[in-house]
Amino acid sequence: MNKTINQKAWFFVVPVFVLVAFNAVIPLMTVVNYSFQETFGNNVFMWEGTRWFKQILQSERFHAALGRQFLFTGIILVIQIPLGIAIALSMPKEGPWVSVCLVLMSMPLLIPWNVVGAMWNIFALPEIGFLGHTLNGLGFDYNFTQQIGDAWFTTILMDVWHWTSLVVLLSYAGLMSIQPAYYQAAEIDGASRWSVFRYIELPKMKKVLTIAILLRFMDSFMIYTEPFVLTGGGPGNATAFLSIDLVKMALGQFDLGPAAAMSLIYFFIVLLVCWVFYNLMMKNEEQS
Amino acid sequence: MIFGNAQASSWDSVSKAQEKSFFDFEFITWMAWKWQTASFFIFIAICITIMIIWEKKDPGGNPRKGVLTLNTTRGDRLFVSLLSAAFIHLAWIGLTDFNLWFATLISSIFAIFVFRYV
Repeated sequence: MNKTINQKAWFFVVPVFVLVAFNAVIPLMTVVNYSFQETFGNNVFMWEGTRWFKQILQSERFHAALGRQFLFTGIILVIQIPLGIAIALSMPKEGPWVSVCLVLMSMPLLIPWNVVGAMWNIFALPEIGFLGHTLNGLGFDYNFTQQIGDAWFTTILMDVWHWTSLVVLLSYAGLMSIQPAYYQAAEIDGASRWSVFRYIELPKMKKVLTIAILLRFMDSFMIYTEPFVLTGGGPGNATAFLSIDLVKMALGQFDLGPAAAMSLIYFFIVLLVCWVFYNLMMKNEEQS
Repeated sequence: MIFGNAQASSWDSVSKAQEKSFFDFEFITWMAWKWQTASFFIFIAICITIMIIWEKKDPGGNPRKGVLTLNTTRGDRLFVSLLSAAFIHLAWIGLTDFNLWFATLISSIFAIFVFRYV
């Protein structure tokens, strides 16, 4: 059969092309341009070469922000992935409670990010917030606006509350796709609960879990709104993750050059991680 | 610019505005183009064009399993080359004080390696 060649379809791509050009390509090009130059406003730019890159790569501040970012992402992955799997395993497989659980689980995902930040801010206030007041009443010296440990604790708790549901929903979808025959076979063989999890459920969830880890890594690596509203990067710089530090540098200090260099380095790290996860996912697909 | 006069009172006393050339209209000046960055993007555009021509001549992207045991096509190899070039340059800037062209040389050699074996 001969396919008719009709190139008119390309016109349908034009709107997307224009949109992407204006919200991604042109800003990205501008960031590249800025990262090599110094400006004091008024569209006057001075060429600086690779100075900003050297400054950022060797700056304590960037290393600290990057370290905090990896620490935060690591902690929330270590908490959210096992917790998400555990909740998904304990959710009912059939009956009216399925919908109740699913709706309850998706609630936190539907709340706008700055609202989550504001909610937790009020919730955790040491004097009047429910969490802060209770903790202080129980004898803990809790104040997330002044103590670094408490600020981290609150930020991580907030992220766990907000995003564990995503892992739960993905894991649950993976669990539901397992044929009953596998469980029956395991029962006949007298497999323990752990073996069922280790050799049936976990391998079957591998694909969705890779996606869950990728999504959680990316979202937490680029987190901005929630910690900005909750702690504003404080106390001091204790919870100033990469994006918060970046905005401070670009808009707070108006250091457009260093900020552009920093965002490019940030961008390359994100690209690298994306590429690694993409290939892991492709490998999974190949094996199954 | 509409507010040109309002701005002139405060900023032009600090730095005299340059005489406007043909491309100096407001739409483009904020992007702060310099020939160095422009040539970088032209290089990327040339790369993509070459990939299109290559694909027309030899369709299918030449998929294979390379040393990383990943299924890669030509486009994947270009992406890997460009991304590793970025990291090689960053490492060079961050760790050494030598001329940056050495990093470009290393990246080019690495890109050849990637296109042959990955």
